[in-house]
Amino acid sequence: MTLSCTITAGTTPSAAYDDLPYTRGGAVDRVAVGALVQSAADGDAAAWKALVDGLSPLVWSVVRAHRLSDADGHEVYQTAWFRFAQHLRRIREPQKAGSWLASTARHECLKVIRTTSRLTPTDDPRLLDRVSDDRTPEQTVIDSEEAAAEAERIRRLWQEFEELGDRCRQLLRVLMASPPPSYQEVSAALGIAVGSIGPLRQRCLRRLRARLAARGVL
Amino acid sequence: MNDEVFDDDVFDDGGRGGDSFDHEALEDDVLEEALRQAAAILDPVPAELRRTAVEAYALHSLHDVDAQLAQLTFDSLVDAIPVRGPDVPRMLTFSTVALTVDVEVTAQGMMGQVLPPRPARIEILGGPQSASATTVTADEMGRFTCDLSLSGPFALRLRSGEEVVLTEWLRL
Repeated sequence: MTLSCTITAGTTPSAAYDDLPYTRGGAVDRVAVGALVQSAADGDAAAWKALVDGLSPLVWSVVRAHRLSDADGHEVYQTAWFRFAQHLRRIREPQKAGSWLASTARHECLKVIRTTSRLTPTDDPRLLDRVSDDRTPEQTVIDSEEAAAEAERIRRLWQEFEELGDRCRQLLRVLMASPPPSYQEVSAALGIAVGSIGPLRQRCLRRLRARLAARGVL
Repeated sequence: MNDEVFDDDVFDDGGRGGDSFDHEALEDDVLEEALRQAAAILDPVPAELRRTAVEAYALHSLHDVDAQLAQLTFDSLVDAIPVRGPDVPRMLTFSTVALTVDVEVTAQGMMGQVLPPRPARIEILGGPQSASATTVTADEMGRFTCDLSLSGPFALRLRSGEEVVLTEWLRL
């Protein structure tokens, strides 16, 4: 997993959230995000690119969690980033840019769902064979034959994940963004209370583990 | 409220607790990390999409640094009683302190009005894929029409005298 040099993982949450059940390590550093937003607003293109690198997977996760068609999902992703670029100098709490993007993406997703009479599920089997144009280190690993067993394990893990109930699948799809989103960001992404995320996460992960054990994947 | 979702499949933690708690929490973290790796391989952010986000900076942040932002203050999709039908117009209102832009979008095109009424040149922006923006003119009454079928990310850039106003991006 490659992280930008300016967005670091594994830092302590800011004091502003001390009253919330913040239990996750490895969240995007909010102070760093706030500084990047400030720099980008001042004209630093590299800071903007670091924001895109650090927060793109979160925005994409929100889109995928809402099961939009590929075309709709791409448009929502773009709209969220275009609007973020517009608002860059006006965002009141730059350190919460992740939540801002997640919430914007969620609202656009909900609008798509309102206009689409029938949802197109994205869990078709072809997704499992999808290969991206740009090879990540992980994908290169998969290319080697020695890693075939690992690839099969990942594929079966993904399949079991896709077959979870809607709420678990939705929550886990957002939680698995990289770097791991904070609970505030997950809350913004899904419109659920911060306090309910920890217990839900636990249930969903244990449920998935039980499924994997039953299929002999674990 | 959340619990009903789980009724179809009784969750069983086998009455475990105490000593196994930390161990299970660790297993949870391990499984979440495995999912993160799987997502990075099987469902990553498409590279071309990421590029549009990087390019959005030059297009939508630096380019319009002096423009006023007109916020979306009404969207019939959210703020009106839902109407079902094959071609229900989407009614949008964008506002700055000084002016509003009312827009009605149908499958046939778009019509709108700048208020208070004034002539203006209006660029219809549609994301980076349509590099050349369509420009329409608002008349003395501030009215404008466009017979292009619009979809996807959408914004308007208005020029009236010295003033430049940009509407918030939204997806049609």
